[in-house]
Amino acid sequence: MRRLIGHLFWAAVSVGAAFFLAGIALERGEPVNSMWLVLAATCTYLVGYRFYAKFIAAKVMALNNDRATPAERLRNGHDYEPTNKWILFGHHFAAIAGPGPLVGPTLAAQFGYLPGTLWLIIGAVLGGAVQDFVILFCSMRRDGKTLGQMAREEIGKTGGIAALLTVLFIMIILLAVVALVVVNALKGSPWGTFTIAATMPIAIFMGLYLRYWRPGKVLEVSLIGFALVVLSIFGGQWVAESPALAPWFTLGGMSLAVAVIIYGFFASALPVWLLLAPRDYLSTFVKLGVVLMLGVGILFVRPELQLPAFTRFTDGTGPIFAGKIFPFCFITIACGAISGFHSLISSGTTPKMIAKEWHAWPVGYGSMLLESFVGIMAMIAACVLQPGVYFAVNSPAGIVGTTPEAATATITSWGFPVTVGEMEQLARDVGEHTLFYRTGGAPSLALGMAHIFATGAGGRAILGFWYHFAIMFEALFILTIIDAGTRVGRFMLQDLLGHLHKPLGRTSWMPGVIGASAAVVLAWGYFLIQGVRDPLGGINSLWPLFGIANQLLAAIALCVATTILIKMHRARYMWITCLPLAWLVVVTFTAGWQKIFSPEPRVGFLAQADHLETALRSGQIAAAKVTEIQALIFNARLDATVCGIFLFLVALILADSIRVWVGILRGTREAKVTEAPFVPSRLRPEEI
Amino acid sequence: MSLLKRASFLFWELLQELSDESAYRRHLAYHGRRHSPEEWRRFSDQRLQAKYVRPKCC
Repeated sequence: MRRLIGHLFWAAVSVGAAFFLAGIALERGEPVNSMWLVLAATCTYLVGYRFYAKFIAAKVMALNNDRATPAERLRNGHDYEPTNKWILFGHHFAAIAGPGPLVGPTLAAQFGYLPGTLWLIIGAVLGGAVQDFVILFCSMRRDGKTLGQMAREEIGKTGGIAALLTVLFIMIILLAVVALVVVNALKGSPWGTFTIAATMPIAIFMGLYLRYWRPGKVLEVSLIGFALVVLSIFGGQWVAESPALAPWFTLGGMSLAVAVIIYGFFASALPVWLLLAPRDYLSTFVKLGVVLMLGVGILFVRPELQLPAFTRFTDGTGPIFAGKIFPFCFITIACGAISGFHSLISSGTTPKMIAKEWHAWPVGYGSMLLESFVGIMAMIAACVLQPGVYFAVNSPAGIVGTTPEAATATITSWGFPVTVGEMEQLARDVGEHTLFYRTGGAPSLALGMAHIFATGAGGRAILGFWYHFAIMFEALFILTIIDAGTRVGRFMLQDLLGHLHKPLGRTSWMPGVIGASAAVVLAWGYFLIQGVRDPLGGINSLWPLFGIANQLLAAIALCVATTILIKMHRARYMWITCLPLAWLVVVTFTAGWQKIFSPEPRVGFLAQADHLETALRSGQIAAAKVTEIQALIFNARLDATVCGIFLFLVALILADSIRVWVGILRGTREAKVTEAPFVPSRLRPEEI
Repeated sequence: MSLLKRASFLFWELLQELSDESAYRRHLAYHGRRHSPEEWRRFSDQRLQAKYVRPKCC
């Protein structure tokens, strides 16, 4: 009887998944309620988790709870520790969830709600969650080895070095692009700038509190820090309304970029307990809390989507970023569908904490589904805005015109009516001077979130508070990524430089620390400044570059996973990893090729450089602008080179992997499995 | 009711894990030491040093 009820339940969920997916795909002409997206995603995730992931766990990986995991065998009270699966699920989710699944879907909404939503759901079930799960499994069976170590051991030295270089390059682009998102969100906003500036002394206070006054009381100090951050939001409103103080916190893009660069340098060079760690604790709790709040808010408010299923910009003429729906929708949304960065987390702390092998199923596969759901919520938050408002906020002046009147006229002519009066009223409601040209995704996401929160609690009267609360939330954990990323980049660089001159590799040698920190900060700072100066808004060139890089890292992870499956004599199941790998290779190489060689100047970096050079040579550029244009030409060529390097590195790893696969399948190469030997588990249930 | 109690317990444990307070308890138990400001600083330095050599996810 129980079995029959189970079958009926899963049949209903499967029918529900098909019904809700068909509903959002076929609905035309009428506004769609956000619950359709929520239900389509939930039912599909459940089916994917119960059937596809379980099939992978049982048949492909042959997970075995009788086999001791590294957490049990190597238990040391530090990093190797058997942990309850639901606690580890939360821990892993907190580690993989960053700004990517929030910003990517917001930007991709320029194509309409449907392409991004379908990619988030299908990409996660068949690609992203599979990658995270398989890499977690591979690392768990190898005592928690990192992706780089596995690439070196399973594919070869070339693969290992290429993986290390790819991670370093990706981090530089990632840090630049997320810094640009913060800069664009705070540009000309004294309220936002004050709130974010206040988080720095708050984090230092937390660091000192934890170090000297109440050592070990992390939850206590995080609660105090959160209360202070909320107070700083009210303080920001007061500052913005003060004629004496507001000018101090009203900064342009370049000033903010320099401030973020200086911050990144100090956060990387200062002792980690003083600024980085307390900010990280705070941002983790705020992140989880806000994601939960957004989920509850959407269920409670059930807002209608205002953006259509498809917009006219599927043809590649979008104002936020240029490029057709294929491949650019799949590049813009990386995190939330499939993100290579997750493979670094799945081969980091998590495999050392898994108590039983079957726990990898909810932790690896399930956490990624939850991240995908965060992407769906971001898509909903972006699509509840009036389309005209969405495009007015996200479009750069270089595309829609440099005055509010020109911008609204251009956007209205696209079929998305909006007026200057509406935009001014909205800006007043949220306590901003203007909401035009706020590219980067963060402000429009904050507007959507504020709309949902305000409808749920407080109404329009506190829209400004919710808007700045959302901006604070986004900026807080983006800045955590910037400081932690700069620090990691510094370690990577010092590791490399140590081979040239030994003291440079010592992480305690001050000249080495300062030099390496400065080099990493200057590297991402250069791209950040480039983004700020870009008349097309910076996001147009940097976000696709980041998306390509991130998905190429996923391709590397899937190459490693496929190699391991073949070595495990599971070649008949290699389609599980080869399917997303083939898709990623097609998408990223198409996007990369177009970003380098497309004749359309807004898409192709080289065409953009040629276009500007032609204008320069023909004397169309005013003398005062010549240096700026020359810098833009150089930057476009630099971006093309960076994109080319990414493609080359991944082609190298792919070719190396295929060589290994063919060798093993033909029997000319030994399929040496490097996993740890079987040791029976003695872990008692009460120990987990 | 017991489900709610269990969920609350897990949530609290998750917060403790995310805040490194659980890891600190394990550290004290494993090394047979008692809590003191110096012990926390020693643990925290080791923990944070290991934590921030890994990239954070995007």
